[in-house]
Amino acid sequence: MTPVAGAVALNLAFGFSILTVLTLSIYSRNGDQRLFLTGQRLALGISFFVFLATFILTYQLIGSNFHIDYVARYTSLETPFIYKISALWAGQSGSLLFWLFILSIYSTITIIQNQSKHHGLMPWVIISLAIIQMFFLVLTNFVTNPFMPTEADFLVTNGNGLNPLLQNVTMAIHPPTLYLGYVGFSVPFAFAISALMNRDTSPLWIQSIRRWTLVAWLFLSMGIILGGWWAYQELGWGGYWAWDPVENASFMPWLTATAFLHSIIIQEKKDMLRIWNMVLIILTFSLCIFGTFLTRSGVMSSVHSFTASSLGPIFLTFVFLILVSSFGIMYTRRRELRSKRRMESFTSRESGFLFNNMVFVVMCFAVFWGTLFPVISEAVRGTKITVGPPFFNQINIPIGLILLTLTGIGPLLAWRKTGRQSLVRNFTFPILSGLIGSAIFLFFGLEGTVVISFSLCMFVTTTIFIEFFRGVRARKNKFNESIITALRRMVSKNRSRYGGYVVHLGIVFMFVGFTGHAFDKEKEFSLKKGETEHVAGYEFQLINISEAERPNHYAWISELQVIDNKGRFITNLLPEKRIYFHKNPDVNRRQPHSELDIHSTLNKDIYAIFSAVDNENGIAFLKIMINPLVHWVWIGGYILIFGTLIALWPRKE
Amino acid sequence: MSLIQDYSLVLIFFILPIIFVLQPLFLAKMTKSKDETNLVSLKRKKRLLYRQIKELEMEFDMGNVNDSDYQNSRNALKQEVSSVIAQIKSF
Repeated sequence: MTPVAGAVALNLAFGFSILTVLTLSIYSRNGDQRLFLTGQRLALGISFFVFLATFILTYQLIGSNFHIDYVARYTSLETPFIYKISALWAGQSGSLLFWLFILSIYSTITIIQNQSKHHGLMPWVIISLAIIQMFFLVLTNFVTNPFMPTEADFLVTNGNGLNPLLQNVTMAIHPPTLYLGYVGFSVPFAFAISALMNRDTSPLWIQSIRRWTLVAWLFLSMGIILGGWWAYQELGWGGYWAWDPVENASFMPWLTATAFLHSIIIQEKKDMLRIWNMVLIILTFSLCIFGTFLTRSGVMSSVHSFTASSLGPIFLTFVFLILVSSFGIMYTRRRELRSKRRMESFTSRESGFLFNNMVFVVMCFAVFWGTLFPVISEAVRGTKITVGPPFFNQINIPIGLILLTLTGIGPLLAWRKTGRQSLVRNFTFPILSGLIGSAIFLFFGLEGTVVISFSLCMFVTTTIFIEFFRGVRARKNKFNESIITALRRMVSKNRSRYGGYVVHLGIVFMFVGFTGHAFDKEKEFSLKKGETEHVAGYEFQLINISEAERPNHYAWISELQVIDNKGRFITNLLPEKRIYFHKNPDVNRRQPHSELDIHSTLNKDIYAIFSAVDNENGIAFLKIMINPLVHWVWIGGYILIFGTLIALWPRKE
Repeated sequence: MSLIQDYSLVLIFFILPIIFVLQPLFLAKMTKSKDETNLVSLKRKKRLLYRQIKELEMEFDMGNVNDSDYQNSRNALKQEVSSVIAQIKSF
């Protein structure tokens, strides 16, 4: 398939998107079923042409067709196969096509899945999705076309190659996962708009999107965790989260989406918070587009941003249009959005959920403000004031701890109202466990936020186990089942509830990991072969410095032997100093990169970075970091994924 | 690639999708009744209410809801489901 076919496919997809919107708009007025079928097929046609274009670009990347500018920019003959594929989302135009590709997958699934369902909602769902596709088709057709030919007056025989930081397996998985999350929120957003257009704001539309929201949330969570994992493994500063603008860009929609996931439960069960849910899903989707803007526009300098462009104003205009049109429709439907029911008591699960929603939104606003402040200050006062991790930590650590507390309180409250007796009965054990935890941690010399965080983790864990225990006991008594059978049936009959509790447990594990950051230690030093250095009770001995030439880089490998303070051998670490594009005659285009090595245990990580090498004197310049409890963050991530999968698993009706 | 292969690809990838999209326009005129759509919604609503009753029973068995709250909520849900069933039957 030639690149021209790819460009034509994108042209046709754009044409089809316009026709989809027109056809279904006419259908929504005259109800002629033939138009609905045509509109549906046109929408499937958009996806088909986008799939075709994506396939053609991937084929060109694998085949190293350097006549295409994008291929020449992001791959070379030496680029390994897997990174030739991941180059699809490494650059701007490719990543926008990839956004469109994922949206087209979601759009196709939504249309096929709902062929015999939601007839009232589907026309506007398809129109909304087609408009989003149209936006990205405008970008890929007219602003930054991935099939543009290389502008050179000579034969291009090799390409630039992929940025070394992106040549990492995690980085091959992280962007697609994040995109699956970002783009996934298009579907619940489309259903929300459709519910508004149809003036059907009953809880039924919420039912249609619960699973979609969970899928998008799962991918966004996985994307964020993988991003942290990649930063920890690849960037060499020893952390996984730095409140970087691009990290924040993914965290903001995650916060509002998490709030949405909680508040739709109230609408589904109590038919309350209709307006609030609409606001949350509109904000979540707008923040996803805004996140793509932050990542792709280059307006913020970031360790995760690999492109800079003039797309900013176009994206901002789109976000503005989404907000104005969505809130405009909401305003015209304000009567239908009025809930008939009111909160009955402050001590109810509804109010607990609402309070947790407020805290999520406040946190989102704080992150939003901190992220955009440098840009705003530059625009208003002409000087860029950087907002760093201290600002974010100062604000978000207390808010995070409040959220952790609410994670424990929520399940202990009953719907409608919790009586005084129930309050005492439900809270006694968890509070006691938190207090015992505090006493133990204080006894061992811990203080401040660390004690609060660990104690709250104990409090929340106790509430989760109590919920499981009570549920199993109730089934055991009622149906005379064994503990295992009762647990299995209880979870399978209430997947979203118990899956949610497992997710909460994952969050607790993550908080344990975050708190471990308070005990980090690090040291920089240089060693000659045979010399030793001590860091936090460990002895590091440089055994050897070896060299290796690999297909796409040259590496110096330092072998470090690690021995603990009792003289026991722990591990051999092999951090590397690499030079990518080492064969390039232009020295300035060769890229140095430190490939670190980590010895990871449940208790702590030993993190080794080979910063530089002095070849003449055989000296290795090293940085060692001891990072306690980091492993808990990743385990928490696995638990979170497992819990979400339980909640997602289809139930038998 | 030969000219025939090129034309075949154009036919498969560009012409066939266009035929597939336009085909419904040549069918006889069809309209979908509102009743059918409403019936689907009502059935979904009934399922949702049944699920809520089951969840309420579980909350009660676990001791999270007291007796009077349980009875009130259960009666309200049962009334609602009865009205939905009556509407379904009327179709």
